[in-house]
Amino acid sequence: MKLGAIVMIVILLLLMGAGTVQQATKHANTNTPEAALRSFLDQVRAKHWDEAYSMTQPGAGVDKDAFVKDLGGNNGSLKTISSLQNENTKILRQSSNDADIRAELQWSTAVGALHETRDFKMVNDDGEWRVAWPAAPKSQAVAKALPTTYLRWDVVQRGSAKDEWGVQNVEPPRMRIISMNAIENQGDVVILGEVVNEDTVPGFVAINAILLDKDGNSIAEESSFDKISHTLLPKEISPFRIDFPNRKLAEIKSVRISPTNILVPAAADPVVGVMNQRIEKDQDGKSILRGDLVVQGGQTVNIPHVLATFYDRTGKVIWVSDGYVDRALLPQQAVPFTVNLRDDLAGQVQNYRITVNYYNSNRS
Amino acid sequence: MLSISPVRGYSPGKASTTVTPALPMAAIAFLVLAVHGPLLLMQLPAASEGGSTQIFLAQHYAQSWFNPWNEKWFAGFSQTGYPPLTQQWVGLASHLMSLTAAYMLVQLCVVILLAIGTFRFARLWVDERSAGYAAIGSIFLGSLSVLVYQAGDLPATASTALAINGVVYLYGWARKARFLSLLKGLLLLVAAATADPVTAFFGTALFALPVIVAAWMDHGDRDVDADRPSPIAVLIRAVLMLAIAGVVAVVVLAPFWPSFFTQHRLAIANGSRDNFLLNFSSAVNYWLIPMGAVVLALPYIFLSGLAERRLRPLFFAFYIALIFGLGGTTPVARIVLGRFYESFSLDRFTFWATLLALPILGELASRLIERYSIKASIGLGVAAVLTFAMPLAYMAAHPANTNPFRTDPVIGFLNRDNHDRFRYLTLGFGPQFAEVGAGANASTVDGDPSAGRTLPEVAAFGVTHFDAARNYGSDGMEALRAVLKHASQYGLKFIFVRDRYYEPLLAFAGWRQVESYENGNVTLWSKEDVPPARKIEPTTVIPYLERMLWGIVPVLCTLLAFGLILVTPERRRTAETIPFPTAETTPRMQEAR
Amino acid sequence: MKILNPRTLLSILVLCCSSAFAQELKVPQTAVDGDGVNIGTTGSGSATLYITGPGTALKRELRRGDTISLTGDEIAYAGRYTAVLKSGSETTAQNFYVVAGKPAKLNFMARPSRVPVAQPNVISGVVFVLDRDDNLVTAPTPVNFQLGVNGSAAASHPVTSKNGVAWIKAASGKQEGAAQFTASIGDVSAKRVVQQVASDPCNLRMKAQPAGSSIEVQTEPIKDCSGNPVPDGTIVTFSETAGAHGRSTVDARVKHGIARATLPANPGATLSVASGVVLGNEIRWGGGQ
Repeated sequence: MKLGAIVMIVILLLLMGAGTVQQATKHANTNTPEAALRSFLDQVRAKHWDEAYSMTQPGAGVDKDAFVKDLGGNNGSLKTISSLQNENTKILRQSSNDADIRAELQWSTAVGALHETRDFKMVNDDGEWRVAWPAAPKSQAVAKALPTTYLRWDVVQRGSAKDEWGVQNVEPPRMRIISMNAIENQGDVVILGEVVNEDTVPGFVAINAILLDKDGNSIAEESSFDKISHTLLPKEISPFRIDFPNRKLAEIKSVRISPTNILVPAAADPVVGVMNQRIEKDQDGKSILRGDLVVQGGQTVNIPHVLATFYDRTGKVIWVSDGYVDRALLPQQAVPFTVNLRDDLAGQVQNYRITVNYYNSNRS
Repeated sequence: MLSISPVRGYSPGKASTTVTPALPMAAIAFLVLAVHGPLLLMQLPAASEGGSTQIFLAQHYAQSWFNPWNEKWFAGFSQTGYPPLTQQWVGLASHLMSLTAAYMLVQLCVVILLAIGTFRFARLWVDERSAGYAAIGSIFLGSLSVLVYQAGDLPATASTALAINGVVYLYGWARKARFLSLLKGLLLLVAAATADPVTAFFGTALFALPVIVAAWMDHGDRDVDADRPSPIAVLIRAVLMLAIAGVVAVVVLAPFWPSFFTQHRLAIANGSRDNFLLNFSSAVNYWLIPMGAVVLALPYIFLSGLAERRLRPLFFAFYIALIFGLGGTTPVARIVLGRFYESFSLDRFTFWATLLALPILGELASRLIERYSIKASIGLGVAAVLTFAMPLAYMAAHPANTNPFRTDPVIGFLNRDNHDRFRYLTLGFGPQFAEVGAGANASTVDGDPSAGRTLPEVAAFGVTHFDAARNYGSDGMEALRAVLKHASQYGLKFIFVRDRYYEPLLAFAGWRQVESYENGNVTLWSKEDVPPARKIEPTTVIPYLERMLWGIVPVLCTLLAFGLILVTPERRRTAETIPFPTAETTPRMQEAR
Repeated sequence: MKILNPRTLLSILVLCCSSAFAQELKVPQTAVDGDGVNIGTTGSGSATLYITGPGTALKRELRRGDTISLTGDEIAYAGRYTAVLKSGSETTAQNFYVVAGKPAKLNFMARPSRVPVAQPNVISGVVFVLDRDDNLVTAPTPVNFQLGVNGSAAASHPVTSKNGVAWIKAASGKQEGAAQFTASIGDVSAKRVVQQVASDPCNLRMKAQPAGSSIEVQTEPIKDCSGNPVPDGTIVTFSETAGAHGRSTVDARVKHGIARATLPANPGATLSVASGVVLGNEIRWGGGQ
């Protein structure tokens, strides 16, 4: 029965070979530009930076460190806590020597799914397609000392249990909703507006909204979630947007808005400037608001979050959109951002305002 | 203790001319106690991946046996999403000791039962002495060690142990039509299904099919059975028993099936589905370590398994389990399991493969010891101990919980100052997630990923376990976002974070860090505008009869099975070849004269 | 003329006798909190006196004819008390009232704790007048409210309490700082602090100067219309609109009274400044400037 054993072992080895070859060819095919890009992205997905770098065009002046920072992020940026989830590639142009491929990349990040459209240039290197990675521009930042006067509010609470009757802690800051607008968009009801901190101390604000039907019954409850800058410094204004999926304005009689505001500790730094803001069309012809973020002081911002408020000619808020920036903001260095704008509203937008919210990993 | 009834005195290679006596079952049971007892006394499985979940679920049975609605997870869920048997036994035992100790006791009983089952199963294929070695081998299996101490998969081990014992009675019933065999087999198989139906289905198939074929092959063997039943009768009886067991299991587990078949659950990436040739670490963790020294014996298993005609069914079952256990290394498992492939941990097949190989390995051990005596004993002993110890060493080097911490401060916070009026969430707690659930009075919107209620907000994402949301990729994080958006509706005020990965989302969503524990290892985040949690009424009403069956039948089946086995022991038939007395063993008659 | 017939006369006699026997307890109509009270008894023999009232239950063994003194601490709570004298099978009860004593404590609630300067009717103060045992003094009592920032004369507002409560609504002063808000009755007073903070910026002005390839914009010291400097941390938004270069904005924070930011130097750009809903001046950046 040795023959039988040999046959069984051979079958087992064949099955293992079939499974391995199937998987290996799927991952290491560089015969076509699209397959080569997919193989490259597979390495990116697995965070195998050495392997991914080896699939780029050699001698193109790409610094490996910059390559890894570009794909894997640094300085605690959102990219450092992201991983490539899916990709969808489309060949824009192809010749025997090179090809342009547009990849719709879906990243899984710490703040949810992030979509990125990136154009890759592929070159044929002796029959093997490689990624022509663009060399990173040299940083123009000059090392210098920046004065920083830290300004910060701390909250000292009285013990609540033994308080004398009639005496209480410092009141929450005065917040006021300065505009509000309810619209219907793609089968959803959206509540838009702006809230201002009118006080002289920083405050934390969250806005909940309840839709009421004709009988006064609650039919849906949602919150501003991350479509608001929760911590507002004195006189700071934040937009907010509350989405009610699968609702119609016609079924709503009124909206009950309940803002929550409390006194919180906060820091006045960093100050983020929003430069060169302009509404443009992207490569797919969609309207976007584009600009650059620059930290004015000497601090680093790990994860910036951009909130854009769009107004019509009467000054009414007609849309609020947001976007996370996957690069960290280093002092004095411009980092580009884009925020989507609904194409149907692009013509109505008369004015807009950008608010930058942020998360720093060392912030408590 | 169960009596041993060798249905067939099969002696491959005529090795039974040995004079060495067979190992008594009591000795094997004591060996289980000696090997697993100290480790279970140290409560090692409590830190495993699934141990604390089992303890959490058992706690509910200890407090509320017939009401499956548990408010502590998923903002309220029915425990009928989890097969009940092992949790009910732990719950019962917890009235005499702590929940964790009860879990360890039940796990110890399961290992003993597995050793007994292995002996009885091996006895169908090899002689009693080899079967004894197989039983000893089952105690030291690396795959068992992984399941018990690393995965904390009490249901799978219990289901396998019950199924393997049930399958032995299948042989007796199929061949001899003994009603008692049918009854005991049915009770054990139904009990196996109520412990873990998926394990019971695949495990029973893998163990029962070779047994049925063996029973069918044995029909013409005069040495085995003078009754000589017809092969058709053997087959019909076997199918009848399996069908009855299946129907009873389906009826008893009626509340379980809807969630099993209808809910779309996203699986976390599991190394058991990797290609082991391309991923060495997965190969080590999910194949080499569970197989242990069995890998060295593979050539013998192939040669011996195919050499003996009667062992071939057993070999083919082993072969199939081996291929499935190789995960993504071959395309077979993906093709056969279809949509269940991604939600199935394939290391269970390696466990069954090693169990199926044990009769052949027992025979090998028997031959080696007969031939090389003490040298072989020492060599096999060392191999067995290393096989058993390797998973424990690997677990120590790569613990499931890389940084265990005390959950007492978290539980303490939730249980004081009316904090349990709100719901909570843990992020990055890993296996200790269920520990908080068992200790805290408060309810969470999260739950164990293997079953349970899916919140409406996250149904589209197929993710049920927010504690490990990042492991599900963007679906996981989107699901977490969806549930955080509705924090007010669920009264979700407190979030305990042990993985800073989640902090940006919480900060942007309006939670603020308010406390930290364990030197900042765990932080508490709170949201101010969240009202106290509202009680959520049961989403599905389980009929009274189904609840009664769920509460009574699983435990009753095991009690009746063990009772019957003890009360009606099958007569031990000596089928061993008795060696002719040699000169040295001739009785001395002088004194008698 | 027969004024009373014998039966009527007998009835009156019995009534007088029984009422004479019932007058075993002598309690005052009212007592003042803190002063104590004397309760007299008549007759002879032993008896037990029970006193019940708000939060109070007392029992005393006595001989009839004795006078029992209750201290102010024993009847500390204002309200209706009942004294019951039990002697054998006879029981006699009398009610009396304890009223609040003289004001000894003021519970003072001042809202808000933080208020912009020069705002009418933004500060409210409510006083509950209490005696030494926290009984509400319901008798009309003059309460004097005073509000003033350190260093300036405090404005005084006398108010008479009604049912134990006096309240006032006042305007905030023009000077920022911790205003002392005091309520007093005689030598009894309660003090709260109302932080008067600067109001919205007034006359917001900025200046710009080149700084390399950028423009450095800086406000003049920012003050409200009363001349108080706005607190540090207040957001001041600098904007630059520069045609093809789009718009640039910086939400700067006021530090040491001024806010500054750096904007790109685009010729022809218009620079503007705002804080909250208050707009400041505009600068057109062009040519060599």
